[in-house]
Order: sequence, then C-alpha cells, then structure tokens
Amino acid sequence: MSTLTRFSAIPYTGPAPTNRDPYVPANAAQADARGEEIAAKIGNSAMQQERGQDMPTFVVDKNAITDVLTALKNDSFILPLDLFGVDYPQRKEGRFDVVYQLYSVQRNERVRLKVRVAEDEAVPTSTKIFKANDWFEREAFDMFGLKFDGHPNLRRILCHEMFQGHPLRKDYDPAQRWLLTEQGVAKLTPKIDPRFEDVDTDFERVTLNLGPSHPATHGTLRIVVTLDGETIIGADTEIGYLHRCFEKMAETHTYQQVIPFTDRLNYCSAIINNVGYCMTIEKMLGIEAPPRAQHIRLMLSEFMRLSDHIICIGTNLVDMGALTNFWYLFQPREEILGLVEQCCGARLLPTYTRVGGMAVDAPADFLANSQRLIDMLPKFIDDVEKLIMKNKIFLDRVKGVCPISQEDAINFGFTGPCLRATGVPYDVRKASPYLGYETYDWDVPIAEGGDTYARFLVRLEEMRQSIRILQQAIKRGLPPGPVIVDNPYVALPPKSKVYNEMESLIYHFKLIMHGIQPPVGEAYFQVEGGNGELGFYVVSDGTRNPYRVRVRPPCFPIFEAYPQMITGQTIPDAIAGLGSLNIIAGELDH
Amino acid sequence: MAITRIAPGVVRVERAPLSISDRLYLPQVIMGMFVTLRHLLKNLFNIKGLPIISYPEVKRVYSERFRGRHILTTREDGTTRCVACYMCSTACPAECITIEAGEDERTREKFPVRYDIDLLRCIFCGYCVDACPEDAIYMTRDYEMAIDTRARAVVGLRDLVVPPNFPVGPMGWRPYYGDIDKKGWAGGTGLGQPIRSAPFEDEAPPNPDVFRGEPRA
Repeated sequence: MSTLTRFSAIPYTGPAPTNRDPYVPANAAQADARGEEIAAKIGNSAMQQERGQDMPTFVVDKNAITDVLTALKNDSFILPLDLFGVDYPQRKEGRFDVVYQLYSVQRNERVRLKVRVAEDEAVPTSTKIFKANDWFEREAFDMFGLKFDGHPNLRRILCHEMFQGHPLRKDYDPAQRWLLTEQGVAKLTPKIDPRFEDVDTDFERVTLNLGPSHPATHGTLRIVVTLDGETIIGADTEIGYLHRCFEKMAETHTYQQVIPFTDRLNYCSAIINNVGYCMTIEKMLGIEAPPRAQHIRLMLSEFMRLSDHIICIGTNLVDMGALTNFWYLFQPREEILGLVEQCCGARLLPTYTRVGGMAVDAPADFLANSQRLIDMLPKFIDDVEKLIMKNKIFLDRVKGVCPISQEDAINFGFTGPCLRATGVPYDVRKASPYLGYETYDWDVPIAEGGDTYARFLVRLEEMRQSIRILQQAIKRGLPPGPVIVDNPYVALPPKSKVYNEMESLIYHFKLIMHGIQPPVGEAYFQVEGGNGELGFYVVSDGTRNPYRVRVRPPCFPIFEAYPQMITGQTIPDAIAGLGSLNIIAGELDH
Repeated sequence: MAITRIAPGVVRVERAPLSISDRLYLPQVIMGMFVTLRHLLKNLFNIKGLPIISYPEVKRVYSERFRGRHILTTREDGTTRCVACYMCSTACPAECITIEAGEDERTREKFPVRYDIDLLRCIFCGYCVDACPEDAIYMTRDYEMAIDTRARAVVGLRDLVVPPNFPVGPMGWRPYYGDIDKKGWAGGTGLGQPIRSAPFEDEAPPNPDVFRGEPRA
C-alpha cells in the first residue's frame, strides 16, 4: 500500500484553505502574555511587542538593539540561537527585518527580536554581546547586503568573493550566473593570538593551509593556521565551498519540493531534517501527523541520530589512527541505512516524510528489523569502548584537547552534544518535546570539561540512550491507522482513488499544480538534530512557494568557535578536535 | 563508563581517573587486542557471514521501494500510458524532465513526442511517480547508471518505455505495492514476458550505457 489516506470521493468536510488567512499559532495568547512580562522587566521604550506570534516577539528600534540584547542577556537569555534577515521590498518602514532569536537555558524560553532597517541603513553590531553573531552577521551581510556598524570583519562568508549582488534579496534573479575565479579569493592571514604575540621562539612562523580538500577535514572546509614550531598561534577558517543556497532554492520551489533539499543539509542524519521541516509546515497548517507516522518518525530519527554519532566517532578515531573502530561502527551504520532503504527506497537521501505524515507506510517487517539492529548495536558500541576508553594513547590524545568553557560554548551558540559536553543539559527533546519524546524514559547525558574527551563520552552515552528510546518504541509497537493526514489540501489522495474517481483526480492535480498553501504568517520549529538544535523558520505569504525559509544549522556556530579552540594546540590536536565537533559541510554551508 | 544521575532526566558521564594498571599502557592495549582477536577468530570461522559485499560479483539486493532509474509503462495495446500532462515535470524539484506533447491523429489522444529525463540532474526523490495520475512512470531497482559523456545522461522515450505487462517484480518505487486493484493498470501481473530492448522494432538499438534490460533474443 502506498500513500494511503482513506478518504472517499468527497470525504473532506473541513474548510478549504483560503490562502490569505493569517496564521494564528496555538500558543499565541501565552506568548503574548509572556511577552508583556518580559517587556515590563526589560523596560526599554524602544521595544514594541508584536502580537500573535509563536514566541514572545518584539520590534526593536535599531539604535536600541545592543541595549535590548544586553538587557535580555542579563535576564538569562544567554544562548544566541540565530540571526538572519528577511526581505520585504514593498514595505514602507524599512525594507529588511533583521531577526534575532535568543534562548534562555535557565527558564527554557525563547524570544525573537526584529529590527527594521532600510536598504542604506546599518544596524549596530552585536558581536561584543554574543560571539556567535559574528558569523551570523556576516551571513546576513552576504545574503541581504545588511550592514552592521562596528563589525570587525564584515565580508562575505558563504558566497564567493567575486559573487555580485545579494542572493536572498527578493529582487535578485536566481537565474544569473557569475564567473568566479581563483584570483578573487580572499587571502586569509590568521591573526596571531595575543598570548603568543611577543613569545620569542627559535622557530620561523609558518602559515599552513588545511583544506578545502584535505583528507582530515571530512568535508570542504578551509582552515588556515599560523604555526610556531608545532603550536598553532593563530587560526582562521573559510567556509562556503559546499554552498548551494538552500534558502533561495526553497523560495523558488513549492513547499513539498523543499523536502528533498532538506536531505542535503545534514546528510548523515537526513530524516531528522525531513522531520524538522515537515513539522514546521504542519505547525503553520495547524495539522498533526497521525500517531503511526509520528511513531515511525521518532524511531527513524533515533536511528539517524545513532548513525550520525557513529560517523562522528568512527571518522574521528580514523583521524587519530584507530581504524578498527571505524570498521566496527560502520557495520551497524550500513544496517541502519539498509533499514531506511527498506522504508523509503534510498539510503542516504531518503525524502521519507511528507507534510502531514509519511510518503509510504513502513514495511511489514520494520519492527522485526529494528529489533535485530537494536540487539546488535550495543555489542559494537561496547567493543569500541573496550578498545579506546582505557587506552592511554587515545586518552592522551583527547583529554584536554580543544577545550571550550561552558560560558564560551553558550556565547558561541553551541547546542547538541558539544554543548552538553560542557555540562549544560540542554536537549530539545527534553526542553520542548515533540513526537512524544516526553512519554519515553531516557536521560540527557552531560559531561564536564568541554574537551574532545567529554564530547566522546557524551556521544557514546547518547547512543545508549537512543537505543533505550528505540527499545521502548519497539515494545509499544506501531499504532494502527493511516500514515498521512486525511486532508486533500495537504496530502495526495491514494492512487486507486486518483485512477478511478474524478474528485480525487482534481484534488491530486490541484495539490501538484498549486501546492500546499499555508496561511500567511511565520513560524519557527526546532528539533534535536545530530549536532544540536536544528530549527526551521518559515515565512508564508499564502502562495505555493515559501516566502522565506531559514534553516538554523547547528554546525554553523560550532565551527565558528573552532579557531579559538585550536589556538595554542598542535595540528594533530586540531584534527582530533575537528572530528569531535562533527562538522557536516552540507549543513554548515546550507 | 561511570554514570551519575544529577537531576531527573539528566545523567553525568564521569571522567573516570585511570587506575595504575591502566596507566601502565600495556594491559589495556592487550585487552584491546583481545577484542580484535575475538573479531578475527569469529570472522575466520564464518567467512561467509562477513559483512562484505564483493561488488560487482555480488550485488546488494535492494527493497521493492528502491528509487532507481525510471521507466515509462505502456498499455495493453503497446502505446505509452503517458498522456503528456506535465504533472511529473511540475512536481520535479530538480527540473530534470522535459516533455513535448503531441496528438494522436486517429484517437485525438495526447501523448509525449519527447520525454527526456536528465539523469545527472535527477535527484531520485520519486516525486514524479507520486505525481503521475496515469500510472505511467515507475522507478526500477537499477542503480548502475555510469556513463562516459554528459549527453548520454539524457534518456529519452527509447530508453524509458517498456513493453506492456512488464514484470513489476524487480521494480522499485511505484504508486502501489502488491495487488491493490488489477483494472488493467500497467505493471499488472504480466510475468514471463521478456524485457524488450527498444519500443519499436525499426528503431536504432538503445543507448547501451543506459538501458539495462535483458539482451534481445
């Protein structure tokens, strides 16, 4: 059986979407009430509350943004989640929205700030308040041409230096082509860390390029380091080699057509991306996937998390010369990908979910195969643990290597295992549960130290916790029922109806030609990806194409901290640290 | 790994200090060697159970949902089922399908004069199969599509169209699986019929690098 909704010729009795309806989030009243409290506490007159949003939202005057951000940071909103632009060319009061999203780890609460600026205006930089905003502001400059006053290094980050125009502006024609050559590439000269500025050693300072195609970088990243002997005294990074402008592609395609593109963000755990994107659109449409679809999504998300951690640990150990672990870990990964292939017909890029559910039901032997996998996985994890966790060579190479303090990790916008390795128990699955994670018995593992060793410990334990969740999920069994919602404005009718009934055929044509049309508005939804919080912010203008899709890639702020982490270390330590951060270039460069 | 519960739902993985024997380096290396030795012995006495596929002698068996190269199905009378409605090319996120519609002079039916899929653009998402209202496009389990020139990646009607009653057994992603209804939809039950290498007898032989059917008898 395939895409099986069970509606008959005229089954759907709900309203047809009129595509100019405003989007009203389910929790809008709560968010408004909370927003009033926050505004009263901050007490800044430049903050205007914007009502009817899915989280407390404020429109802030551009001159007051640094004050507001500082005040919010003092009021426990210490984790900078995201900063991006949205372009509204027709709007009178300033063309661009600069959107800031902050998270309070202490109170588990989010806040969104919007600054409206015209094309020639500049926003004061917030890099002094949040270190993460350095790259986020560079990205906003690259994509929208937004200027940030006082930014130390405002140049392009994802696009090539010779690229002309700003691709995410609405008036940028995506069909343009530019000739980009090697001559235009910016020459990177790493800034020497002040700690090593005046240190006089016998060695000559050497500048060394790692990447963009270096076997140890696992992706197209470029790291430029200045060496004094073996010590890295300055480092700089360049990204964007795998930039495909996912966000512009999403704007030129329909909501359904974006799902295959999300596969290519973090290709090691693609189903989590599918789930995150589809749940964002479902949130806007006010629908929920059927219980069976949610169960399949949860199980495959956990399998994908296992596979992501397997890749991270396996390849990281290969970089350190421990090849055996790679083989032991990649066997279960093959089996996980085989399970995904049985479900949806592709191993790496599954495109399994649809808005409103799944493309097809899971195969009949899905639970049996999952059980077999769950039985074999712990053995391999145990083997790896036996091989490395008490091995002195390994421990000497990871303990105290590439450390980051808890304060810095939060300030750089770390999420996921890298944040938990510094002792912050923030996991989206616990903090704001989705897909029924709250009904499972599992723990968030944390570790102290924030070094490569701590990240290893967290990832190994997280794999065990994922297995725990999966064991419970298999025990509960798949709930009966359909795998996609019974709504012809969202899900394609079943083929047997399309072939035989006029009504269904019309719904089918309408949905392919006109697409899903969410109500006008904006929504943010986050899931726990393999590397941390994976968020999608979608703006809908009521047409079949998204007005703006912003993906919050967890790798992006993590890699931003990398130069700071490796300064003072040696090259082999930098490689070991890079592997433990699990930088996926597809996600980093969107 | 030592684990301490520090809050409900939060555990801390402890950085266990090394014991004296661990610090001596050799005992733990020997312990590690035992792990690899166990794997070696296990594999030595179970060569056939090795998790290795000796491609290309042995090929992985994919499921019946595998999204491989496409085919265009035909009706019982040998005409292509495709009515050139452009649904697949509309649904395609990669814009890899090019269709030109023609009209049959006798039946006044629409049919594709040209149906090209650029396999280098194709991302094998299966949306064309989901979008087709005529049961006309399926995906096979064929994943060996290596080519030597870019032009050969563009496959047309000659490479895509298969005969009526083409067996669905080895097929991949398709609108439905198993027997849902047998109202003469393509695929049907027609097992046993040989795979035809070209839709029309008088045409030139198909692109050998793309078409992977059985050789003509």
